[in-house]
Amino acid sequence: MITNDALTALIREMLPDAEVEIFDRTGTRDHFNLAIRSSAFRGKPLLAQHKLVYSALKEALADGRVHAVELKTIATENSHV
Amino acid sequence: MSELLQKEIEQEIGANKILVYGKGTKSAPRCGFTLETIEFFNQFGFPFEVVDVLENMPKREALAQMTDWPTLPKVFINGTFYGDTDILGPMSENGELQKILKDTFGSEPVQKETINLRS
Repeated sequence: MITNDALTALIREMLPDAEVEIFDRTGTRDHFNLAIRSSAFRGKPLLAQHKLVYSALKEALADGRVHAVELKTIATENSHV
Repeated sequence: MSELLQKEIEQEIGANKILVYGKGTKSAPRCGFTLETIEFFNQFGFPFEVVDVLENMPKREALAQMTDWPTLPKVFINGTFYGDTDILGPMSENGELQKILKDTFGSEPVQKETINLRS
């Protein structure tokens, strides 16, 4: 179980410019649909993009805060921040 | 990671052109994502195998290390790791997957599987 804010924070540790859309699939706050936009995905194959996200969620997946994720990644233009 | 487990996994990957490591079996999946993956491959008509690793934590850990991918299901095609249907879905939409399958099997699909898992 994890809040939207905590989940977004974990992803932004790995992908600082990430925009994260979160949908709680089951109402139990551990099965999520995630749509993530980040410039860090640019030029990377889909598998590498998803691996970036999973590395950000590694501990949350291991300790059960996050049980399952349906993932969509979108590469954005370079951020200017 | 145990060498024995790694050998077992490599042998399974080598023996099946499409291999899914999931939770539950092909006829009785025990996880929504595993079911989705089976339905996904049913539509292509190429033979595929599902290996149930739900209760086998050492093997799940070995697989996670070998692929650098934490979740199940995990899909291998022709010995290459492709992640899950979140990756294969978009690859199917742009035709990339169909090309890989055709190259892998060297032909059009020969059999259609028509098991309805939701009945």
